[in-house]
Amino acid sequence: MSSHYEAPIRKPLIIGDKNYHDVTVDVARPVEGRANKQWWIAFAISLTAFLWGVASVAYTVGHGIGTWGSNKTVGWAWDITNFVWWVGIGHAGTLISAVLLLFRQKWRMAINRSAEAMTIFSVVQAAMFPVFHMGRPWLAFYVMPIPNQYGSLWVNFNSPLLWDVFAISTYLSVSLVFWWTGLLPDFAMLRDRAITPFTKRVYSILSFGWSGRAKDWQRFEEVSLVLAGLATPLVLSVHTIVSFDFATSVIPGWHTTILPPYFVAGAIFSGFAMVNTLLIIMRKVSNLEAYITIQHIELMNIVIMITGSIVGVAYITELFVAWYSGVEYEQYAFLNRATGPYWWSYWLMMTCNVISPQVMWFKKIRTSITVSFVISLVVNVGMWFERFVIIVTSLHRDYLPSSWTMFQPTWVDAGFYIGTIGFFFVLFLLYSRSFPVIAQAEVKSIMKTSSETYKKLHAAHAHDDHSHSEHNHH
Amino acid sequence: MKAIYKIALAVTVSAGLASCFDTREPNYQYMPNMYESAGYETYSESNAFANGKEGQLPATGSIKRGFVPYEIPNTPEGYEASKANPVPAEAGAYDEAKAKELFTIYCAICHGDKGDGKGNLAKREKFAGVPDYKARQITVGSVFHVETYGLNMMGSHANQLTQAERWQVAQYVMQLKGQ
Repeated sequence: MSSHYEAPIRKPLIIGDKNYHDVTVDVARPVEGRANKQWWIAFAISLTAFLWGVASVAYTVGHGIGTWGSNKTVGWAWDITNFVWWVGIGHAGTLISAVLLLFRQKWRMAINRSAEAMTIFSVVQAAMFPVFHMGRPWLAFYVMPIPNQYGSLWVNFNSPLLWDVFAISTYLSVSLVFWWTGLLPDFAMLRDRAITPFTKRVYSILSFGWSGRAKDWQRFEEVSLVLAGLATPLVLSVHTIVSFDFATSVIPGWHTTILPPYFVAGAIFSGFAMVNTLLIIMRKVSNLEAYITIQHIELMNIVIMITGSIVGVAYITELFVAWYSGVEYEQYAFLNRATGPYWWSYWLMMTCNVISPQVMWFKKIRTSITVSFVISLVVNVGMWFERFVIIVTSLHRDYLPSSWTMFQPTWVDAGFYIGTIGFFFVLFLLYSRSFPVIAQAEVKSIMKTSSETYKKLHAAHAHDDHSHSEHNHH
Repeated sequence: MKAIYKIALAVTVSAGLASCFDTREPNYQYMPNMYESAGYETYSESNAFANGKEGQLPATGSIKRGFVPYEIPNTPEGYEASKANPVPAEAGAYDEAKAKELFTIYCAICHGDKGDGKGNLAKREKFAGVPDYKARQITVGSVFHVETYGLNMMGSHANQLTQAERWQVAQYVMQLKGQ
């Protein structure tokens, strides 16, 4: 600690008197212990929802997408709404693990593992919608440019729906590799602590023989940095490509150049909200309050506030440009959103996304766990409605009044959506009991700079440090 | 070594799958969504009809647009009467190349390219008694009549050739007779 300098203004990221071993024990405890009753109840509910989703998807594939509420005018509704929503939620994970790594944000270390898990699980949910909203999902492999017997018939690379295929599949695979690389030292820790031969074997396989030598760590850091550098443009481009599904169309209300950054901002906004929802529960049930502190929640709330404000600016920009454009279709699209038959969804979206992040300006609110939790849920509701509003209100009334119609979801639409929520939580609950939910190797790396214990030590020796460094300079 | 096992496994699996293909049966299909016709296809079998055939006969006496029935009956008297029949205007101008083509396809196998009764089937003695046009009292009208109804060993060619085509062939027959 001799030549260390960190501004005293920084609050500790690890609370309590924790040493390296305590971190290991705290992280391993949920994995090594047994699930309690609440976990099983939550798991049973999630599994039921998931199975209902499986039934809904089976019904859809068996009977056709006419079982959904989509119609000839509104061809995209809940399917793509949910797709965009889930993709958006996934973005916070990569943002936390990659962008915050590039910005050397130490507070990401306690939350990146779960955020990345959330990314992967939500991208899995998202990826189901493009497949099952197809009329003939069994021919989904035709989207791949594979040499074939139709005189080598190829896909058209002009469609953003095809870019979606590449974006989502690349995003999922890169996120998975990034996540797994980070997991290696932590799996190795679980492997080395394993008591039963079975868990020993499982974590031996999962940890790929990680032995933590200096060269391994050096390369590990390099790989993480390179992957973070690659994942950052990826995270921005993936949701940009998703936004192109709409932005490249000719539909009034869709055809706007603001969509790419606005969708990305919305994705970060909703993703951070979801991370907040999950971590507020996780820190409590897994006893990780020492690592996921109020400061973490506050910082996430600040990100939510900033991205929520960006989204708010985007809303105002869209409204201004609609008025400024002089295009009556565009103007009507926004008039219809505000005052048409789906006015309630527009105003719900506006309330949730514009007002709720602004309360974070108050420190009392953004440092309150209860309020943060409620707002994180509100934001996700709002962001779901944002996608719904963009998709449905633009489609149900566009150029030809003779094509105006309404959209009404069916139980199958709802079943599929609830099923993905169930599936997400099935995966997340299983993850939280079998994976190290905090990147302990990373948290240990900030132990001597950012833990409460060491910060106190530094403070006590502040004068000594100063004289030492003076001495060293001479 | 492991690579060899993997290749062996891949070969075994593909050979196993390929062995399911039977040349005596139509091959397996993946999701044949629009392979079978929903509508009635010409010449197909269908339980919707009493005789199980898609091709049903039109009502007797009905005349389709653009068709003029041949009024002379299929009798010895009709044959005699047909001799006076001229080429009608709707048969179109005589096109030798077209007529020769049709004759080569439908007639020359028995009658021979020159109409001398020495077609391939006659030469191979599949059957005897194919006459030489030059030896017969025929006119363009009677040739048309025979093409339409058939005569003795010869069958009707009305289902192979349209009326206009039969008039073309009849004129070609008369041309051969004249040579």
